[in-house]
Amino acid sequence: MEQHSDTFLDNASEALKNTGQAERRDKIALFASQIRTAAIDSFEGFDDLRHHVKKIRQHSLDNLDYYLSQFEKEAVHNGNQVHFARDSEEFNSLVLDICQQHDARRIAKGKSIVTEETGLNSFLQSAGLNVMETDLGEYIIQQAGETPSHIVSPALHKSANEIRELFQQKHDLGHRELQKTSDLVAEARNVLREHFLQAEVGVIGANALIAENGYSMLVTNEGNGDLCANLPKVLIICTTIDRVLPRAEDATAMSRLLARSATGQPHSCYTSFYSGPRREGEIDGPLETHFVLLDNERSNILSSDYREILECIRCGACLNHCPIYTSVGGHAYGSAYSGPIGSVLTPLLTSLEQSHLLPNACTSCGRCAEVCPANIPLPDLLRDLRHEEGIKKLSAPRWRYGLKLHSWLARHPSIYQTLTATSIRILHRLGRKRGGFSRLPFTSGWTSQRDFPAPQENTFMQLYKAKMKQNNER
Amino acid sequence: MSGSARSEIFSRLREASRGETEENIQRERLSLGSAPSPMPPTPENCQAFILNVLNNQGSVDCVSNRSEAVKAIAHYLYTHFHNYRLVAGNDPRLAAMPWRDAGVLPRFGSLEAGEPVALSFARLGVVETGAVVTWTSKANPAANNFLPEHHIVLVDKNDLVPTMEQAWERINHALETTGRPRGINFIAGPSSTADIEGELVYGAHGPHRWHVVLLGDIPVDAQNIARAAPKDQS
Amino acid sequence: MNEQHHDQSPPPQRMRVSLFVTCLADLFRPSVAFASIKLLEQAGCEVMVPLQQTCCGQPAYNSGDYEATVPLAQQVIALLETADYVVVPSGSCAGMICHHYPKLLQGEWRDRALKLAAKTFELTVFLKDIARIEPQRNNPPSTLSVTYHDSCAGLREMSIKEQPRQLLRELCGIEINELEQSEVCCGFGGTFCAKMPEISGKMVNDKLDHALATGAKILAGGDLGCLLNIAGRAQRLGQEIEVRHIAELLSGDMDTSPIGEGR
Repeated sequence: MEQHSDTFLDNASEALKNTGQAERRDKIALFASQIRTAAIDSFEGFDDLRHHVKKIRQHSLDNLDYYLSQFEKEAVHNGNQVHFARDSEEFNSLVLDICQQHDARRIAKGKSIVTEETGLNSFLQSAGLNVMETDLGEYIIQQAGETPSHIVSPALHKSANEIRELFQQKHDLGHRELQKTSDLVAEARNVLREHFLQAEVGVIGANALIAENGYSMLVTNEGNGDLCANLPKVLIICTTIDRVLPRAEDATAMSRLLARSATGQPHSCYTSFYSGPRREGEIDGPLETHFVLLDNERSNILSSDYREILECIRCGACLNHCPIYTSVGGHAYGSAYSGPIGSVLTPLLTSLEQSHLLPNACTSCGRCAEVCPANIPLPDLLRDLRHEEGIKKLSAPRWRYGLKLHSWLARHPSIYQTLTATSIRILHRLGRKRGGFSRLPFTSGWTSQRDFPAPQENTFMQLYKAKMKQNNER
Repeated sequence: MSGSARSEIFSRLREASRGETEENIQRERLSLGSAPSPMPPTPENCQAFILNVLNNQGSVDCVSNRSEAVKAIAHYLYTHFHNYRLVAGNDPRLAAMPWRDAGVLPRFGSLEAGEPVALSFARLGVVETGAVVTWTSKANPAANNFLPEHHIVLVDKNDLVPTMEQAWERINHALETTGRPRGINFIAGPSSTADIEGELVYGAHGPHRWHVVLLGDIPVDAQNIARAAPKDQS
Repeated sequence: MNEQHHDQSPPPQRMRVSLFVTCLADLFRPSVAFASIKLLEQAGCEVMVPLQQTCCGQPAYNSGDYEATVPLAQQVIALLETADYVVVPSGSCAGMICHHYPKLLQGEWRDRALKLAAKTFELTVFLKDIARIEPQRNNPPSTLSVTYHDSCAGLREMSIKEQPRQLLRELCGIEINELEQSEVCCGFGGTFCAKMPEISGKMVNDKLDHALATGAKILAGGDLGCLLNIAGRAQRLGQEIEVRHIAELLSGDMDTSPIGEGR
């Protein structure tokens, strides 16, 4: 079932009802945070590295026109064709065109969130192509007809049992039971191996583009991206224009942050750099290679106050550490990007009108910013989006006016203190016996989940002023 | 379509750009220096590299010359497959190995269906990550890295570099002198996945096992670490 | 006159502290403010309470209403900037003053905000690191089993972690019975808890479960928002755990009934 950002609250409510998934999310979140902490604790210079990469990213974005055109020049020099797409529609058409030029029927696809953003799979499929996701997690959710619930581990919401049932439905298993996780992996490996060998086009993403030499960097543990990049006769590398870094060593410096933050590994198994077709004398590799580079609002974000969000390295640490993400899971966000990064990015890539609930899915607890390897001030950006939400009057009027009233009162201390003194006395009297209220006017959100603790008898200001008076009289 | 998209995108980027000259941009990048790298587990390169390879769930043999290398590979093949067959790229360094000394029967070319083992000669070994670096060419077809069940990689001790920065220094030099390959691969372990309930499984798509043969004058301590490690890790 | 001197003849070296009570303590839990005054005086400070104070502006600010927050922030700055030190019994209100006012304001007001930020401290940090309160016993029996929730803003914006633990040890002889995931948000989040009640409910439930799992009799914390949230949930579920502000424990004020238990 497809979910959308504008129904976040309903999506979340549904997600919370699935207690099995909720428990699994809790466990995974705890595990993810423990392994990340261990990985970072064992690297003394992690914070210095963060600052270094941040400076490089800022420098790259400050001069993105220069570096992107340098990348383009070098990539073309290496024998690639480089294409630019303003939006998802252009992007999808470009990829389809390339496939059709080669009469391709079968596409082997490595994980690429950008293609989730543009909806590439369904676009290619509706043109009659057989698109097979080859990252195990992506493969599983593709078989299940779902979308990724996490930018790094797309199928983490599914239990091994669910995956076993799925394979029983979709594969011809005969008598095989696939009891162990390794059996499930081996099953997918066999199915996908066939597809790799038959696919005419490979599509992969990129973790970075390197301006100085025109290569892309791809980081994986499975090696599926490398099979997509090396076996089919055409390779299409899909990413966005903001991924460019000046030098190769900048990309590997970033990969130091990435693996530790994403999976708690000191590095991933495969860090691969690709650029261009089969060289003379080579006996394998693609005959034609393309870069398709998507803008989709990034060039606008670059000149906005949200520029820092482009420094994201897509590690997923903010998801793993967000208590809201880990409560409701990724699907509730109704976007390819979920969690704190998704709550900033989705409104910027789509519209605040469609997704203004997402920046509100935040307690400003700050854990995302604490773990973000790119030092992106996510809570600040989320609050800035709530600011825009208020200006656009998208939030509920009772909240807007309620808060305005509160602020007005707070700016008028004597009225505030008189009013609060009276209200508190009344509240205290009504609530003192039970100690709290299970219902109160205007607090339905609060009292739906918890009682409203009764206040002590008087406000501090009342008591304090009275005490002062006593002291003075003495 | 792409042409107008390109010019539109670049014009927006130019608006957002600081509009610095190339010279200033390069100077600023230079001033940012290099990234800090993690401390190696031990100061000696061979030892640290071996420890990291083992951490990557690889196994290691240390050999002092090419004849010993062939014998170690033969032993590995016999242990796992009860034969002496493997596939290797058309790498002159591999072709010159004394294969007959141990009866190993290499087929030179690209791995094909039904062939479980491939051998590569790494261009570099990166101590920091315990990774080997290969690049695509007829000397090392990509299939040999990514398709076999077992991937054996020879690394010359003299090709060990401490960090990824130093690896790039060496690679950049090679790219300038011999041209840019289409693929440069840092490989640090057998193919793995944790996509099912976070459980780590090896052999997701590529090799189940990854075996490094470190060639050269290896300090005894380093040899001992390699020898003491369980041989059946992944 | 806006301020009341608690001690008529302070020795010259005494630290002069203005207490920013916070609106939640003012309205719901005056005992927290009185306990803070007691502790600060024990630490040898002269305590003043500026009488024109209301709220630091977090509700509007966190909702993104910067326009409504600016005059409030200016009001607080003007009220407090003459103090030698400002002490706040709340990590999130202290964080608001120290980190968010300077972000929110510009020009001259930003400079004034930065000056105020430099002398504003959360209560436990001030007691431990600045006033260096002498270890002494403030009566609660040390057999009390206490667990502690690290409120997010205090932890991440004000680096409050060891101070409350050290103070409980030194002043009350209490060793914290740590709860699991004490650094994870309790689901309060200001207006968040009312805007997204179901998610907040799940979060506070988890927090309460972790607290109950310690077997502690008391859950303490440094932020009343979180404490009201957790106490309200415990009340709703009929769970018997006393929820108290750290200042109450430290000052030995155990006569006041715990949050949400009436009297």
